[in-house]
Amino acid sequence: MLEKTVTITSDPGVHLRAAAIFVREASRFKSDVWIMKDGIEVNGKSILGLVSLVAERGSSIRIRVEGEDEVQALEILTDLVHNKFYEEE
Amino acid sequence: MEVSRSKVMRGIPASPGIAVGKAHVLEMEELHVREKQVEPQDVEKEIERFKAALVTARKEIEELRETIGEELGQEQAKIFDAHLMILDDIVAVEKTTKAIREEKKNAEFVYRKTLSEIAEELDLAKDEHFRDSAADVRDVKRRVIRHLLQEPRRGLGKIEGQVVLLAHDLTPSEAVLMSKDTILGFATDSGGRTSHAAIMARSRGIPAVVGLKYATARIRAGDTIVVDGNRGIVDINPTEQALQEYMRRQQQFLDFEGMLVDIRELAAVTTDGRRIELSANIEMPEEVELALAKGAGGVGLYRTEFFYIRSARLPGEDEQYEAYREVAEKCYPYPVIIRTVDVGGDKFASYLGAARENNPFLGLRGIRFSLERQEIFKIQLRAIFRAAASGNVKLMFPMVTSLDELRQANLICSEVKEELKQRGLPFGENCEIGIMAETPATVMIADSLAREADFFSIGTNDLIQYTLAVDRGNEKIAYLYDPLHPAVLRSIKTLVDAGHRHDIWVGVCGEMCGDPVGAVILLGLGLDEFSVSPYLLPEIKTIVRSVSYADTRQLAEKAMCLSTAAEIRSFVEEKIVGKLPTFLSP
Repeated sequence: MLEKTVTITSDPGVHLRAAAIFVREASRFKSDVWIMKDGIEVNGKSILGLVSLVAERGSSIRIRVEGEDEVQALEILTDLVHNKFYEEE
Repeated sequence: MEVSRSKVMRGIPASPGIAVGKAHVLEMEELHVREKQVEPQDVEKEIERFKAALVTARKEIEELRETIGEELGQEQAKIFDAHLMILDDIVAVEKTTKAIREEKKNAEFVYRKTLSEIAEELDLAKDEHFRDSAADVRDVKRRVIRHLLQEPRRGLGKIEGQVVLLAHDLTPSEAVLMSKDTILGFATDSGGRTSHAAIMARSRGIPAVVGLKYATARIRAGDTIVVDGNRGIVDINPTEQALQEYMRRQQQFLDFEGMLVDIRELAAVTTDGRRIELSANIEMPEEVELALAKGAGGVGLYRTEFFYIRSARLPGEDEQYEAYREVAEKCYPYPVIIRTVDVGGDKFASYLGAARENNPFLGLRGIRFSLERQEIFKIQLRAIFRAAASGNVKLMFPMVTSLDELRQANLICSEVKEELKQRGLPFGENCEIGIMAETPATVMIADSLAREADFFSIGTNDLIQYTLAVDRGNEKIAYLYDPLHPAVLRSIKTLVDAGHRHDIWVGVCGEMCGDPVGAVILLGLGLDEFSVSPYLLPEIKTIVRSVSYADTRQLAEKAMCLSTAAEIRSFVEEKIVGKLPTFLSP
């Protein structure tokens, strides 16, 4: 199991559109993905779970992954958050 | 006796044209979900029923996504991808099936509970994007529950004949059902010019006004409603006289549509040869085509708030550059005047970290904001100067009230250009830099500003508001908002004269030039450029082409000697009756 805490720098944070992008990525991995904020942990492959955390800009979330491709999963998913969900195009 | 509920409401003009008809009020959809026990032997059947509802809902969303994608483009259709993901959400599906199995509750009850809890959580979010997400969750929830209850698709309700549609808001799924045959026009409490429904209305040629706030609370089914999509007005149960006036304007608009083609290629020249630059106000790059199709000779006001307000994050340099360049290229050789961002006032982007202000119209807005947040300002300036390499681009600053602000902004422009030179990027070296003239302070120091600005563009809406100390959004005093108030006319004259003394051109962007009387006076005051909503262009061009400059000058001079707005209006109206084409006569 691996975990990492990241800060949300995108605006306005992990709202529906950003959550959709995250979940689409997370679902490509075999590993389980869990996201925790303020003591509440949700399934990282659930758009409703993720969006219900209301992770606004400036908040921190912990990404926890467990499974055979966990190393890659953690790297890609933290990258995604750091790169503001690649919503720049 | 019937209590008169006649009322004129102002909103955002979202789609042009005038509609007159009976109101059809779309109530908020209520689906009655009852909690029921499922018999143990029926549990698997109940789960099947739930899964089947998901499948039907999926088909519906996919169809919707396709229709919207084709009609409005893929960007607009993206939200439905999120809707599909909500439908597929593993947690929601598992939680629902588990509750059906273990608690033996019916599917609609369980599913509603699951999704409502999430939506309610999102309702509490500070950021409006999260609150918007709540509406999306509810949209999906309703869709699934409707299938479980086997309620027919609500659509737009039972419509008899042709109606004017009133709704608190229109979801994309409802908007797509609007047909020009039955929906004469529509008005909503919420929404903006760029909401799904507004875009759809423009694409289908249905007049619309949005952002009315309380229209549905005031309007009842069967009321006679006028939706004036050109001016953003909704009139409830108008008087017979007003109704005639709207019908006349409606006919006018249709006539104009018809004669558009004839006038498009013609210049805006008075009968005695004075040429006016006639350009369009736009908000989005897509609007350039519309502006050119309506005969614009360029863009006189490119508002850039759209980037900052619609997007969930700060717009990057490249993203802005691409948009500005697109507009500059499409307009070339005509000019495009890009106004640097005017957030603040009524345009508030929460992620910019702007604090709530007690008096936002007198607060951190326009150039004040840009000078305070120079890092954001510089990104925009870089994008504008780079785009200036690809067309005829000019730049202007909003809400300049002192020479210091203009100097400071100009200094930053020089820094930015130097930076671009170092980076080796092509940029417009000689891009004209002007200011919006929209406060009494600007008027009083017009002389000094004219020495250092390349042009003035008078923003009449704000100039009137600040000069007359009238908040035009306030119904109780809206009658005081009069563009023909002598104070306003004198301010405009001061600005024009100061500009011309220093050899700079002076334009006007605002609704004032959209009114025949206003346009004639502005012409007579010597304005060089008019910039208006694309839809008003043919009307103004017709006015300009129907009068002589010498006459309007004389007219304006005399009007300036009168002491009240009412006197000015009746004087000008009397003089121009018969001079304009009949459908334009006041």
